[in-house]
Amino acid sequence: MRAPAISIKGRAFGDRVLLALVILLSIVMLAPVLWVIGLSLKENAELMANPNSVFQAPYTLKNYINTIGTSSVFIWVFNSIIVSGGLTLGTLILSSLAGYGFARLNFPGRNILFVVVLFGLAVPEQAVLVARHQIFSLLNFHNTYHGLILPGLSASFGVFLMTQYFKAIPKELDEAAMLDNASRFRIFWKVLLPLTVPAQATLGIFTFLGAWNDYLWPLISATKKDMYTLTVGMASTQTNFAQSEGIGFLMAQAVFAGAPILIVYLFFQKYIVTAVSGAAVR
Amino acid sequence: MTADIEIRNVSKHFGTMTVLDDLSLSIKAREFIVFLGPSGCGKSTLLRMIAGLETVDSGEIAINNERIDHLPPGKRGIAMVFQSYALYPHMSVRDNMAFGLENIGMSREVIDARIGEAARILEMARLLERKPGQLSGGQRQRVAIGRAIVKEPKAFLFDEPLSNLDAALRTRTRIELAQLHQRLQSTMIFVTHDQVEAMTLADRIVVMNDRKIEQIGSPMEIYERPATKFVAGFVGAPAMNFVEATLDRSGRNATASFADGVSVQTEIASSQLADGKHTFGIRSEDVRVVAAGQGNADGVVDVLERLGERTLVYARLGDGQQIVGSDAGNSRVAVGHKVGLAFDGQKSHLFSETGRAWHAREA
Repeated sequence: MRAPAISIKGRAFGDRVLLALVILLSIVMLAPVLWVIGLSLKENAELMANPNSVFQAPYTLKNYINTIGTSSVFIWVFNSIIVSGGLTLGTLILSSLAGYGFARLNFPGRNILFVVVLFGLAVPEQAVLVARHQIFSLLNFHNTYHGLILPGLSASFGVFLMTQYFKAIPKELDEAAMLDNASRFRIFWKVLLPLTVPAQATLGIFTFLGAWNDYLWPLISATKKDMYTLTVGMASTQTNFAQSEGIGFLMAQAVFAGAPILIVYLFFQKYIVTAVSGAAVR
Repeated sequence: MTADIEIRNVSKHFGTMTVLDDLSLSIKAREFIVFLGPSGCGKSTLLRMIAGLETVDSGEIAINNERIDHLPPGKRGIAMVFQSYALYPHMSVRDNMAFGLENIGMSREVIDARIGEAARILEMARLLERKPGQLSGGQRQRVAIGRAIVKEPKAFLFDEPLSNLDAALRTRTRIELAQLHQRLQSTMIFVTHDQVEAMTLADRIVVMNDRKIEQIGSPMEIYERPATKFVAGFVGAPAMNFVEATLDRSGRNATASFADGVSVQTEIASSQLADGKHTFGIRSEDVRVVAAGQGNADGVVDVLERLGERTLVYARLGDGQQIVGSDAGNSRVAVGHKVGLAFDGQKSHLFSETGRAWHAREA
């Protein structure tokens, strides 16, 4: 009878250690966010004189008012929403269709083609950057939305994920639907696709966040200020070394910039946790 | 709606492997026919070929004299119930049943009426708005059958539909299927490896083995007059007793002698038997357990299986062969006892080396 008591005590101690770690990590994660919000509520001149004044009143909304009045941040947020949204939608459509094809259709060269797709996972973006830049220049795709969206649509990971997911769905469902007189597209659309929602959510979240945070390709392709995405736009506002001027204004822009992604997190929290834990990918 | 189904010289290959070899079969309208055989014998493949889920490499399949083997599954006018039920998990029971009817453009009123009727027949009206994940195995089975019924097909195909149910539910569903057949009077083809299902449900059983049909017949024909040694051994529990025997064909009927000198006078005409080695076969219920020295042979009891209404007695003969005999439910025989075994010559069978069977003359 002693052994379980020790075990419970041990578990309680372990739980406390775990809780302490979670609190510590939460502070580490939240500190920069609180710091940004704090800086955005301070006068720029005051911050320049004393960066530590972030902890002292008075606070002001002046930076937010200035941002609304003068900043291009809303254009950049809009651009990022268009690019990330378009890329996510396109990736989901193409990956689902390709995944269905690889999982369910028999066509010559299917296996070789799938290996080619898998190779895509191993090729880093930097390796194709110059060639892609030249092609897009020839096609006049730079400084357009499709120029920002198209490269991301060749999503090897998405095709791989959806292929595996479609393969895991029992073929009897297709067969039952065939006996139910459903066309191949109807089987895909009405029977199989709804069953891939967990995988779609995983892929959609990863794609959206990846596109939202992408910096390299927008930096090359979007050279006009009104085509900047948020990452490029924010970087362009950092005018001098260490950003000793106008830091409050910059942070107010950052708060506006972070709001959409925060909303995405709030709405898709359940799916994000599932996606990150890998539980949706069996 | 019902269907005569004609299968003519059908063959099927997967790569270099032959799965079905030149198989022909006629299924009559309103017949409940069961394909019975061990795993890998080709019974499910044959069913899937009728359904259109497998192509026919050679031969043809016709329903009501109309060739259907070139038609897609949905155009054949048949419905199938799968072993795994294959219900659409994201749709309600109602939507599962409606899906096939919507695909052929049926009006909402007719769909609702058919679903209502099927739900009434299968007593599942309260399940209509549930998803398959919220149903028990038995309920899912009902929905799968309901999905087939609403289509009012010419023929129903069942691919081992009871395999996933527990023993009690399997028995109940079996009875319900028999009642459903009586009610709908449709042609039904049922695939199973369970001989009890086959015996209890079928008007006729098609016993398949190794890519071929071994025998087609009513359950009692299959049981009492098996065409081959395989059928004799596969149908019936416990399996038929087989003993190597030499034949004395000097009389009108053959006498079978076993290695340790035991002999049994059969009622199988000597004239129809060929030369060569034979196997003597007899079912356990045709071997009575009597006092030692009173039967055709004596044996020592190895194992007893008390089934309630009778007791199966596994006795070992002098030459080491085991014979299963039958005694009363309250048999006083015990393991280790020496008992006599009386063989009923009228019910005995002989099998040639090729497996062909001979039986006593029909009364």
